[in-house]
Amino acid sequence: MKPLLLHGHERAITQIKYNREGDLLFSCAKDHTPNVWFSLNGERLGTFNGHNGAVWGIDVNWDSTRVITGAADNTCRIWDLETGTEITTISTENAVRSCGFSYSGKQIMYTTDKSMGFESSVYVFDLEAGKQLLGEDSLMKAQSSGNKITSAIWGPLDEYIITGHENGDLVKWDVLTGNQIQRVQEHKGTINDLQHYKDQSMFITASKDKTAKLFDTATFEHLKTYKTERPVNSAAISPIRDHVVLGGGQEAMDVTTTSARAGKFDARFFHLVFEDEFGRVKDHFGPINSVAFHPDGKSYSSGGEDGYVRVHVFDPPYFDFLFEC
Amino acid sequence: MNTRLSKMAEDSDLMRNEDDLCLEDAEDVVVENGFGEEPNFSDPEDYIDDITDDELVGDLLKNKPKETDGFESVIVVDGIPQVGQERQEKLEKVIHKIYSKFGKIITEHYPKDENLKTKGYVFLEYSCPAHALEAVKMTNGYKLDKQHTFSVNLLTDFDKYENVCDDLEPPTPQPYVDHGNLWYWLEDPDCYDQYSVIYEGGAMSAVFLNSHPEPTPLRTRERWTESILVWSPLGTYLATFHQRGLALWGGEDFRQIMKFQHSRIQFIDFSPKENYLVTFSPEPDNRDDQQEIIIWDVRTGLKKRAFHADHLNEPTVWPMFKWSPNDKYFARMTQETLSIYETPSFGLLDKKSLKVAGMRNFSWSPSDNIIAYWVAEDKDVPARVTLIEIPSRRELRAKNLFNVADCKMHWQKCGDYLCVKVDRYSKSKKEKSEWKYSGLYYNFEIFHMREKQIPVDSVEIKEYITAFAWEPVGSKFAVIHGETPHISVSFYGIKGGGISFLKKFERKQFNHLFWSPNGQFIVLAGLRTMNGSLEFVDTSDFTVMAQSDHFMATDVEWDPTGRYVSSGVSHWAHKVDNGYWLWTFQGKIIRRHPMDGFCQMLWRPRPLTLLSEEKIKEIKKNLKKYSAQFEIKDRMSLSKASKELVEKRKKVMEDFRSYRERKREEFIKLKTQRLELRDGVDTDELDSHLENLEEETVEFFVKEELKVIEE
Repeated sequence: MKPLLLHGHERAITQIKYNREGDLLFSCAKDHTPNVWFSLNGERLGTFNGHNGAVWGIDVNWDSTRVITGAADNTCRIWDLETGTEITTISTENAVRSCGFSYSGKQIMYTTDKSMGFESSVYVFDLEAGKQLLGEDSLMKAQSSGNKITSAIWGPLDEYIITGHENGDLVKWDVLTGNQIQRVQEHKGTINDLQHYKDQSMFITASKDKTAKLFDTATFEHLKTYKTERPVNSAAISPIRDHVVLGGGQEAMDVTTTSARAGKFDARFFHLVFEDEFGRVKDHFGPINSVAFHPDGKSYSSGGEDGYVRVHVFDPPYFDFLFEC
Repeated sequence: MNTRLSKMAEDSDLMRNEDDLCLEDAEDVVVENGFGEEPNFSDPEDYIDDITDDELVGDLLKNKPKETDGFESVIVVDGIPQVGQERQEKLEKVIHKIYSKFGKIITEHYPKDENLKTKGYVFLEYSCPAHALEAVKMTNGYKLDKQHTFSVNLLTDFDKYENVCDDLEPPTPQPYVDHGNLWYWLEDPDCYDQYSVIYEGGAMSAVFLNSHPEPTPLRTRERWTESILVWSPLGTYLATFHQRGLALWGGEDFRQIMKFQHSRIQFIDFSPKENYLVTFSPEPDNRDDQQEIIIWDVRTGLKKRAFHADHLNEPTVWPMFKWSPNDKYFARMTQETLSIYETPSFGLLDKKSLKVAGMRNFSWSPSDNIIAYWVAEDKDVPARVTLIEIPSRRELRAKNLFNVADCKMHWQKCGDYLCVKVDRYSKSKKEKSEWKYSGLYYNFEIFHMREKQIPVDSVEIKEYITAFAWEPVGSKFAVIHGETPHISVSFYGIKGGGISFLKKFERKQFNHLFWSPNGQFIVLAGLRTMNGSLEFVDTSDFTVMAQSDHFMATDVEWDPTGRYVSSGVSHWAHKVDNGYWLWTFQGKIIRRHPMDGFCQMLWRPRPLTLLSEEKIKEIKKNLKKYSAQFEIKDRMSLSKASKELVEKRKKVMEDFRSYRERKREEFIKLKTQRLELRDGVDTDELDSHLENLEEETVEFFVKEELKVIEE
């Protein structure tokens, strides 16, 4: 399985995401220009120009008309996908860490970092209210006192937002009131990434504590744990098979002090139910910062600290492989 | 001796009487100088006082000097020369000179016999008891000359020894504690070995059985030890370190068997047959007046003897005491003196130490009561390696060596050979009281211990030697030599009295040698800085059975049977990827055990086999027969394990399926809400909203091929 190498970024990739159909692949990096690619052949469709800082998060709405990006230049921007033009800019007090469209695509949320006297917060805007689109008045704002939000996704049906925190906490926020509905702590380290299963009934976390965990979305019940020896930066669940893929490795700041071999920059495949590792893909020469499954489950992509996005199409033996049970 | 003591006691009584006499004299003087004219206040002669002295001056009487007061300041020095009157003054001068060092001497008394000859002992009174005590401590055993050795006691000691109760009160025997079968692990039906592991940075300790296909935890304990775990040399006990001392564990459920109180123990050392235990604490608890080194009896837990460590003057070298192979003797070297002690008396062998000027180091043969030591070069006197037999101290063999910078002694485990690695120099220069050597080259002096007269062979290697190791059973040895990147591993063998070169592996990355405890197989390892490269070699024909690596490995350990090898990355040396791996002796990886904060893994040693040599030969001959049985057994346990795993997976899968089924139902129920949110478009499945899909043909350039067609 020879991967497609998408070389369009100059710095470390921070997040990659497929659109609902999977024909497009979105990527953002520490350089200031998010990209969009054809997932089939790796051809670049276009760029989103305008940010003046590292772009930490990217998302696309369900009907692939709008793109949202959040960056360290203290802005969250919404773009028209077809033309690549900026629709609006929401100025924030702090760097934006993650952002996303709700199930309906009518609402957006983003989270900000903690610094300069401002607490890390989560914001929700209604895209159909004109004032809000200008960033003047938010539908909801909630602060996470003292405990930085490091990743966030929408819950199903526009009802709540799930945030992962620096200390390993998972919190569920009510979109209407801004109250915390639920809080659990199952991780011992920063939660770097959150991704839903295709029907959003489960989600997977990726943590610096070297594990990834599977949770029930509605109850926050901890279902499974996938253990590695390195910090996990990202994890994704296959839409067609009982598999998960984990990406991570030695922390970027320590990479120069150890050889690539000790860094363990492999993408690692685990069985969703048995929690056993059954395969690795060695590819990047830096830590993997983001992984994503194609919605058809026949390929996956990874974005690394090395600045490359790689699209891997599974070979037939992958689909024949069965665990003994 | 007893008569002598009682005689001295009498004399001391005599001295008391003399003191009394003096007092009486003093009273007389007072009367003489009295004032005669004063009115007489005295009671009439026959007046009987009805007030007792106690009532009148009770408080003063408490302070009344007692006969025994001041006795603590008196010492008795026995063993001084017996002289006549004419030389007494001289004797007094000598004694005074020795004893006035410790404090002011108030009285001296030399008892004499009828011929006015001194009796050979003297009473000395100091101004305070502390001085007396110091004098006893420092001069007991003092040698005046060849004939006269002082034995010094406090006078109060006599009372102590006199009042020893005549009736012996037998000590009550301690109830016998049954620790069960301490050797139970040797009876394991599958002959699995055990090993201890410290992990979570030292917080957790555990003992595992190396069973197949998964190791079985036997005992896990939080904070079992405060530093490390140590197995006794025959594997009977597991020692744990604690603030207050040391504990030994054993038996089937690893119960505590014995405790040794010695605070802040830093090092321990078992005697080879596990009878005794030496503990060392650099700063023992002062309250209990403990000493730095204590030797214990392992079975009774009793302190046998304690020593002070002279660690201020010399760096601590452990083991400080080296044991003879049968636990009969132990020896310690201090500044050119070799002190050999005997068990079970724990006294100095023949009551004297062995003084050898310039002695640098010594070691015991692992099989016989033979000590080898080496003496450094001194001006024109060559360096010398000497073998002596204990207890006779007979010199068995000595070998002179020239241009020696340093020596290291390596005994072969069976005691058949001794190799002295000699670092020799071409030039030497003295710099700031330290010798600097240059142009170093290396010699191996091989002593053939089992041959008559112990012949010595020599091998010279020009390159720097990193490691040397004897084959534990057999006559081969391996050497790592050279500097990176030209490191080589060479093998030599002893055949028919001579040494022959066998094999050389060149351009390798190794710094450690690990022979199998049964010989023949060796693991060459490049630990720590060499990234953990491992090579498994069969030295019967020098085939490399496997080349592998355990990245950043810090340790390699053979199991006591020579069937398995473990490699580990210890948290103490390296902070990431801690854990231990198990290999077969052929270098096939069996299992990787990543473990957070893994520190130390130690195989439980086994005692020597009880089988006779013929029996072992017979077993080796029939190995094929046995191996077939074992293979069947292994396969069965493997299939059983995989069956168990499959069953476990089945159960987990069923649970998960039913969970998913529940979720699926919930998902279907919410369909209307989803449709509402997405403007009636069904997006549940990729192909559920077909009109949304457009068939698109994408063409892209794959490859351009240019071919020149033949004309």
